Amino acid sequence: MLATACVDSIQDYNVNPKVAATVPGLTLVPTAERTLVRTLTTTNQNLGITRLLVQYWTETTYNDEARYNLASRQIPENFWTPLYQTVLGNLNEATRLITADATVATGVKANQLACIDLLAVQAWSTLVDTYGNIPYTEALNPLNTTPKYDDAATIYTDLIRRVNADIAAMSTSSAGLGTSDIIYNGSMTRWLRYANTLKLRLAMNTADVDAARSKTLAEQAVAGVFQSSSDNAQLTFLTALPNQNPLYEDLVSSGRADYVGADTFINPLLALNDPRLSIYFQPVSGSTYKGAPYGPKTSADNSSQPGTVLRSATLPGVLATYSEVQFMLAEAVERGFAVGGTAESHYNAAITASIAYWENLAGKTTAAADAATYLAQPSVAYTTATGGYKQKIGIQKWISLYNQPTQAWVEWRRLDYPQLTKPAVALTDIPLRFTYPTSEQNLNGANYATAASSIGGDKVTAKIFWDKF
Amino acid sequence: MRKHLFWVILLLAGLCQQAWAQDRNISGKVTDRSNGQGLPGVTIIVKGAPTIGTSTNSDGVFALSVPSTATTLVFSFVGYATQEAAIAGVNTVNIALATDTKQLNEVVVTALGVERNRNSLAFAATQVDGGDITVARNPNPVNGLEGKVAGLAIQQSNTMGGSSNVVIRGAKSLLGTNQALFVVDGVPISNQNTNSANQQTGRSGYDYGNAAADINPDDIATTTVLKGAAATALYGERAANGVILITTKKGRRNGLGVTINSGITFGRADLSTFIKYQKEYGAGYGQIYGPNEDSYFNRDASGALVVPTGEDASYGGRFDPSLLVRQWYSYVPGSPTFGQATPWTAAANDPSKFFQTAVSNLNSITIDGGSEMGNFKLGYSGNNEQGYLPNSRIKKDVVNFAGSLNLTPRLTFSSSVNFSRVKGLGRYGTGYGSENVMTNFRQWWQTNVDIKELKSAYDLSTNPDLRINNGNASWNMRSPQSGDLRAFYWNNPYFVRYNNYEEDTRYRLFGNVTSTYKVADWFDVLGRVSLDSYDEMQEERSALGSTTSSYLPYYSRYNHTYREYNFDLFGNFKAAITQSISFRGLLGTNLRRISNSSIFAQTNGGLAVPNLYSLTNTISPINPPTETQYGVGVDGVFANATFGFLDRVFLDLTIRRDKSTVLPEGNNTYYYPSVALGYVFSESLKEKAPWLSYGKVRANFAQVGSASAPLAVYNYYNKPVSYGTVPLFALPGTLNNSNLKNETTRSYEFGVETSFLQSRVGFEATVYQQNSSDQLLAVSIPASTGYLARYVNAGELRNRGIEISAFVTPVQTSDFKWTVNANWTRNQNQLLSLYSGDNLVLATYQQGVSSNATIGQAYGSLRGTDFTYDAQGRRIVGSDGYYVQTADANNVIGNPTPRWRGGITNTITYKGVSLNFLVDIKAGGQIYSLDRAYGLDSGLQPETAGLNDLGNQSRLPIAQGGGVILPGVKADGTPNDVRIENNGAATFGYNYNPNAAFVYDASFVKLREAALTFALPATLLSKIAVKGIDFSIVGRNLWIIHKNLPDADPEDIASSGNLGQGFQGGAYPSMRTLGANLRLRF
Repeated sequence: MLATACVDSIQDYNVNPKVAATVPGLTLVPTAERTLVRTLTTTNQNLGITRLLVQYWTETTYNDEARYNLASRQIPENFWTPLYQTVLGNLNEATRLITADATVATGVKANQLACIDLLAVQAWSTLVDTYGNIPYTEALNPLNTTPKYDDAATIYTDLIRRVNADIAAMSTSSAGLGTSDIIYNGSMTRWLRYANTLKLRLAMNTADVDAARSKTLAEQAVAGVFQSSSDNAQLTFLTALPNQNPLYEDLVSSGRADYVGADTFINPLLALNDPRLSIYFQPVSGSTYKGAPYGPKTSADNSSQPGTVLRSATLPGVLATYSEVQFMLAEAVERGFAVGGTAESHYNAAITASIAYWENLAGKTTAAADAATYLAQPSVAYTTATGGYKQKIGIQKWISLYNQPTQAWVEWRRLDYPQLTKPAVALTDIPLRFTYPTSEQNLNGANYATAASSIGGDKVTAKIFWDKF
Repeated sequence: MRKHLFWVILLLAGLCQQAWAQDRNISGKVTDRSNGQGLPGVTIIVKGAPTIGTSTNSDGVFALSVPSTATTLVFSFVGYATQEAAIAGVNTVNIALATDTKQLNEVVVTALGVERNRNSLAFAATQVDGGDITVARNPNPVNGLEGKVAGLAIQQSNTMGGSSNVVIRGAKSLLGTNQALFVVDGVPISNQNTNSANQQTGRSGYDYGNAAADINPDDIATTTVLKGAAATALYGERAANGVILITTKKGRRNGLGVTINSGITFGRADLSTFIKYQKEYGAGYGQIYGPNEDSYFNRDASGALVVPTGEDASYGGRFDPSLLVRQWYSYVPGSPTFGQATPWTAAANDPSKFFQTAVSNLNSITIDGGSEMGNFKLGYSGNNEQGYLPNSRIKKDVVNFAGSLNLTPRLTFSSSVNFSRVKGLGRYGTGYGSENVMTNFRQWWQTNVDIKELKSAYDLSTNPDLRINNGNASWNMRSPQSGDLRAFYWNNPYFVRYNNYEEDTRYRLFGNVTSTYKVADWFDVLGRVSLDSYDEMQEERSALGSTTSSYLPYYSRYNHTYREYNFDLFGNFKAAITQSISFRGLLGTNLRRISNSSIFAQTNGGLAVPNLYSLTNTISPINPPTETQYGVGVDGVFANATFGFLDRVFLDLTIRRDKSTVLPEGNNTYYYPSVALGYVFSESLKEKAPWLSYGKVRANFAQVGSASAPLAVYNYYNKPVSYGTVPLFALPGTLNNSNLKNETTRSYEFGVETSFLQSRVGFEATVYQQNSSDQLLAVSIPASTGYLARYVNAGELRNRGIEISAFVTPVQTSDFKWTVNANWTRNQNQLLSLYSGDNLVLATYQQGVSSNATIGQAYGSLRGTDFTYDAQGRRIVGSDGYYVQTADANNVIGNPTPRWRGGITNTITYKGVSLNFLVDIKAGGQIYSLDRAYGLDSGLQPETAGLNDLGNQSRLPIAQGGGVILPGVKADGTPNDVRIENNGAATFGYNYNPNAAFVYDASFVKLREAALTFALPATLLSKIAVKGIDFSIVGRNLWIIHKNLPDADPEDIASSGNLGQGFQGGAYPSMRTLGANLRLRF
């Protein structure tokens, strides 16, 4: 009697009827793209605080992060986790599924895998730039729950190898990710340019530690990099949650006023008559722009709020821009790399592209004239601006990377300009890296300890390998 | 049982009567003190001549011839306290016996509803009478057990209708449920709560209560708490957490009866558990606003000083009645101070005036009756509860029916059905968020804001002509001087209560149909089908006009359906193998099927029009609803054998085999054995130690398993919301595992039960150890693996403990009786192993605080940032005058596990009056208070103001003699002498202090329950055809005799469950309840 009623089909009960057991590999890619761009763009006080680290903005009354309190909101954990789990985890799975998919044509498959790998390289380099040594060779294997940490410089070398391989594998004659690609909508021409741009960035990031290799890489890449701002690697967000620009969530939807411009940023913009100031910020009253002192509590009413362009749900989130490429080329020329042009021509192109980019977002049509006027000022013009190339490029790149705060933090550490100082209320010096997440101490303790001791302790003041000066 | 005894005794008594020549006749009637009814079968003997005696007839009447030398009669009956009566010079003795729950020969309901004599039990089982649970008229029967049973830890939240955490003998499962299983008349009752993980970890949400509260408290006859695995092994995989076995009342054998309970209670917030405010300084974060008045205020266009209403802190200007400023209220059209500047003073009415009197009606009626053919019972209970927050109420209706029909002398059918409807409106918002007004009052507040003005502003806003900000006239206006009257972070608390309320309903049906066939005197068969089924809907909203600082205005609904079917078939055997060896056996099977599904949807991007709460009223198209569905099937077969030797040694053996669908094939069949041995040594010592009324030692071992995580075997993909028309899939955070097996709990227990001096005093002590290993859990793994967690069998958690319960009746006369019942529990919990690493994060909270399971420590330890200490353990202060904190948040800063718990119940009875009160004690355990971390930061509490060591106002600049010196030592070991500013930089709060600064001892001593009951004498009642009238005055949580947590109730939790224990944020004050109840019996 009981036999017929007994549990005989385990599957019936154990299969979740509301979720997919198999999916096309391509559907995992936009998940990774969206999370990657969000992670680099967000200003949520729980997730992304690099706008504070480079002192674009400061916090009004709840100034924990402006004081470099990383522990109370677990910032290192919340930056690390989406990059590893959502971005790299899904890219890794997409690679596995696409590789195993016999129905995809060889050329298409090669393109898809190369694009996915390139996104992974972008994520890996961000992790190295933020933490230093990280789990790499043993990572992304859930059966090895104590992955060892790899040396940051060695990881970079492998990332360069991977970019080279990706460039070699990409072909404009076959399709790529197609409509699953929410950055380039599958355009292999642009993916190739992005690949070369990323290669140039890896080259320039390591220029202080391995000039010869950088030279080679930069010279190889220059022909293939972004040709104009229309090549920019960026994700245009949509109007509805959860596809809005995260800035919109935190600046507009929330109705909060946690962030105002820091005087360390607004004062130079004012001094340089920067045409982007009125786009970057809103006036306090009338047409007065005023930054708050960086760090201490301040009244939201008395300082300039982030500009209206940054308060749009559809503001693109940016991975790399043409302007950034031109700044890199200017620096490359200064370092003696044969990338064509002069430092000044690339510098001018970079600034012009940045102004055009922002004025375009703001609906202004006077970019060319504004850029010319701006560059004509002795304080901006490459030949007359103060300091060496690191200072000239550093200051202007800092201004232009306003919507790429994570990259701006890299450049500030690498070029050492602008010269920022920690506020009196700071808990530590300005972070040169994030400490490792608490979960690594708990779950991967032995490897964590080794990694921490190799940099003299898990401190925010330990330098990333490329941060030589 | 009683009936058999009656005949046996009658027979014996008859023999005795014939055998002895007697001198005089005594007659009388023995009644039950609780209901005045005659008690049949009471044994009456002559003191000093135990062979002379009789027993009462079916009406409780007796007649006995006694020798002339006899002076005293002794009346005894199973389940009642033995009484003596002097017979010198009297011929009639009428006596009322009181029930004695400590009678050690009582019948105890054990696993699967099997009734057994306590003698034969070789494991710990505590039986509590229904009357003891309802003595203080607690509408939640679960909470009525609090403090009454050793080993049972109940922790209730202070929200109206909130869930209660029910844990027996400590947490055994690292990530699975640790809630005790409830079984009502053989029906396993889900005690799940549907609170979200966010709600449970102190984020915004509501506590919807737990489902075991859906029981009519007046319908409970007895509750048995089965603590160890040996007692529960027959329940199979759900036995590991202990079982609370509820037996409801049965219809009476003869005639018809009606019982009515009608009561009302009133509750007030206990302000010793609410924040106290400083009254010296008002709104702001310091001197960072307008150019004048020391920058404590903004200025509007007319030049008037305007309070910085957008700041939710009280580190602003010092109150000065001669200073005129515009407050938020002056921007509310229609307010008496509209457009005016008013004196800068502390509020006349602080938020403690927000609480109103809670009112609860609890009424019940039970009709029962029966004949030889069978019996029935029909009950209804209605509970209307209005909480102490405005616009909060819960209505609970329970109808229950039970009946049995004796179709033939051998065949009985019985059925019980329980139907309940719970409707909630305006349950209190919990955790951190604008819907929890406590977050507002305790953490982020301006001491200049008058709560009565907020009420009047809210009332004004109901006039459309005066309405601002969609009716939400908040004190926390964003920037009134520039015309921005939007609520910045916090709404008007009255707007929260009247506009952003939740609504919920839960319809529940549980019951069973049972048939018993007595095949032979020694064998009967029972078949039972039971169902527990509920459907619930929860609707939440945030109205237009609300602050958007955490989320946009929204409406959401959640529908949840749960069904559990159990099919039981078992046979009972009873036989005497030899004259001295008895045998009881049980052989059975149980099939269990659970199906659970839910759907959740909410509006997206805000609400389109006001006052419409529907999924269609969304601005952006709604995102796909979240659906969940799972099923569980378990097939069990079990057997039990109990051997008794000479009625003094008992050996109990059980075995159960379960086959479960939640585990992969091949690993899904497992066995639970148990063996228990008891020895009633008092039987052997009867002659030598007459002072020993009862004594038993018992020991047992059991192994039970569990497989509580459905859908953990096969891998799948998540479906994030599409990017426009591009579909997205994602790896889930948790990797499943196709090699899972069941988890195992091994339990050892040893106990002794004794009573002395005719059961006037006695105690029971149990020591136990339970090791729960191979835990089936999703362990956290490093995110660098691509996953956050992975299902494995890992980890071993050990609970060891001592439970002691004792009773004493210091005074007992025929009119007066005083009994003290006490219980004491110490459970030590330790994690022995884990999967990898030495720490498992159980939950994370705001401010980087987390709950953890760490090898070598008790479950649930709190981690966070800590002070740094010198070699002597003194706190180190840096050269800047602030404490030097650890850089990371991975330091153990506390543990919520108490050292011990205890409860003392006093029952004093004088004739028809009885007084009952319970003192509940928890010693030790720690709690992190987010309320303190933020409240001290925003300058609310008196210690953030006042005078410093120099006798000056501490908030003055150091240059003017202000500032404070934090206690501690400098790096060189000398006492800290660096003075720091006490201004908006928030010296005392979370900003400059580690998490450890806000960890407090959670001990308490509470007067939990008190009840004074008057029973009208039977002589009076007989004239008005009423069998009983009891009137009682009851109180709950009347007095917190001792606690160490400032401003809050150390017991308050956001929700039941493993998460959130030891963390408190937005805590609700405890509620003092006082009321009256009338009980009528016809």
